[in-house]
Amino acid sequence: MKKDNKQQTKDMSELNWEDYLKAYYEKPASFKTWSGFDIKEIYTPNDRAGKDYEKNIADAGTYPFTRGIHKNMFRGRYWTRREVIGIGSPADTHDRVKYLVEHGGSGLNTITDVTYEMGLDADHPWAINEVGLTGVNCTSIKDMETLTKDIPLDKVSWSLITASVAATVTMAQYSVVAENRGYDIATLRGSVQNDPVHFRYCGFRPACPLDLSIKMGSDVMEFCTKRMPKWYYTTVNMYDLREQGITAPQEVAYGFGIAMCYIDELIRRGLDIDEFAPRFTFYVSCHIDIFEEVAKIRAARRMWARLMKEKYGAKDPRSMQFRFAVHTAGCSLVPQQPLNNIVRIAYEGLAAVLGGVQSLHCCGYDEPMCLPTEKAHLQALRTQQILAYETGVTNVADPLGGSYYVEGLTDKIEEDSLKIMKQVEELGGMEEAIRTEWLDRQIDAEAIKRQKELDSGEKLVVGVNIFTSEQEKTTPFGVQRVPEESALRQVEEVRELKRTRNTAKLKDAIKRLRDDAEEGKNVIPAMVDATKAFGTVGELVGTVREVFGYSYDPMEIIESPFSEN
Amino acid sequence: MDKERKIKVVVTKVGLDGHDRGAKVVSSLLKEAGMEVIYLGMYQTPEAIIKAAVDEDVDVIGLSYLSGEHLIFTPKIVEEMKKNNLDDVLLIAGGTFPAEDIPVMKEMGIDEVFGAGSLTEPIIQYIHEHVREKR
Repeated sequence: MKKDNKQQTKDMSELNWEDYLKAYYEKPASFKTWSGFDIKEIYTPNDRAGKDYEKNIADAGTYPFTRGIHKNMFRGRYWTRREVIGIGSPADTHDRVKYLVEHGGSGLNTITDVTYEMGLDADHPWAINEVGLTGVNCTSIKDMETLTKDIPLDKVSWSLITASVAATVTMAQYSVVAENRGYDIATLRGSVQNDPVHFRYCGFRPACPLDLSIKMGSDVMEFCTKRMPKWYYTTVNMYDLREQGITAPQEVAYGFGIAMCYIDELIRRGLDIDEFAPRFTFYVSCHIDIFEEVAKIRAARRMWARLMKEKYGAKDPRSMQFRFAVHTAGCSLVPQQPLNNIVRIAYEGLAAVLGGVQSLHCCGYDEPMCLPTEKAHLQALRTQQILAYETGVTNVADPLGGSYYVEGLTDKIEEDSLKIMKQVEELGGMEEAIRTEWLDRQIDAEAIKRQKELDSGEKLVVGVNIFTSEQEKTTPFGVQRVPEESALRQVEEVRELKRTRNTAKLKDAIKRLRDDAEEGKNVIPAMVDATKAFGTVGELVGTVREVFGYSYDPMEIIESPFSEN
Repeated sequence: MDKERKIKVVVTKVGLDGHDRGAKVVSSLLKEAGMEVIYLGMYQTPEAIIKAAVDEDVDVIGLSYLSGEHLIFTPKIVEEMKKNNLDDVLLIAGGTFPAEDIPVMKEMGIDEVFGAGSLTEPIIQYIHEHVREKR
């Protein structure tokens, strides 16, 4: 080997052989899970695992579904390989959708940008700088037409990620586009994230006041239950909460608490639990501690089954099945030594699959640097395909079931989550815990603890506080940029639409939306009509906001152009 | 600068980016390290940030960027700083950036960049070492 290629390497004799010897004898510094549970040296039949098998564990496909919601799990069907896509204009995003379909993705998954989630049109003064930066901008139905162009909506399962109250508009836009193309919306398959309550913890508090979040979130759920029976009308997002730094048991407990805000509202509206619960789904994190994540998922399945049966009186087993998608933990990824992220993502994806996931998004390795490049996106999809087609994990339902350790940890997480749920109940329920900012305080405190664990070395992350090296000067597969011209064109197209649409027709539609909202009706049917009249996300959401006593514009800059109605 | 006076930092986010965990955590930990921290939070404009920096006579401005908006807003903030003669205020940024952008951000006028996965101590140390140079 030529020496000049390895200028930084010392001679063999100069290396620190004392450290080398230490590394040989080194043992782990602590034996805790990521969430902080102390773990014993070995788990045995005495650790409760296996006791009351029929009652607490049971075969996959059987109540309480600890081992999985289907009897044969992946033997019946692989999980959906569904990579999140959202970049720039609808046309940019449409291109990436095509790319991933061509490479074997099996579910479409698009995410709207921060401006749309906030309920702002692309031409809003606060939106102009940020159109398309973190997702696709979808201001009007024209954008949804471009996004879905030439895609057979009867053949795909499409996950539409809009979490905020703007999910009402997303559902209106998608159903109108589908009907315009001749599809019966009752046959459409897919999901909408539609979890505005959790979104207040992700920086969208101005867009998602609590009462409006429950009202509009539940409107989507009610509309889909009645009109789109194959559609999953929410994916309650406990992933986003986990990303703030909370523990695995907190993730489940807070997620379930938020889910119950909607369930209680749907029951208040007179829906029967078995009429809607089979279409309730969750978005779950898989962090780096493989066994803890699998145990968390198994605990969540058992807890959900019991909650639905015992608290809500569900009779249909489908109402008791905890259905979920996994997003591997973005916050576990770091920019230092970025290719290591591919390995982290693979372990997290493995946890999801061992946990019996229905649909999986593996992060791009470049998540802590930029939106995924085409290569990073493909790498994430390939990671899923290696899991699915090479590793053999699909052979058997719940491969870790019966492990003394995993069963013990499942019990432990369930116990802790139930304790937190009880605490929330004693505070007066999740709505109250949110209103009094109890939940804010819990989340903030945990986030600081996680950073201190890194600072003290209690938690180790390669490249951060162990095995560090000089920061790379370049990103291995390049950097994804949002084309500036895409954003400018998007803004211009929205302005053009507003200049050329039929104003009288739109005003009528907005008036109906306002009337329906005032009368306490479900706003989706009126939003469908307003969408057809080229009403925009800002206009539709703003009109409903005003009825509920909020400013038309969440950023309090522009006034409603329809006030004279 | 006067050694008795606590180092004063404003921590903030610009625009609509809602990823505020890092900004909040850094604010708390700088406070624990003895600094006075004004947390402006989300949805700030460059003008509002600089007005707060002037009004509060801060030593350091900490920006948090996690939505790819760093190259858009940084020049606007630096321009506002120049307009208000804040050349002696330390400007640091944290968040998610491609490695390629870090020299660009420094060229634009950011003194130091701490990406996701940073430990707290180097941030505190950097502020202590450079705040005196600047003032």
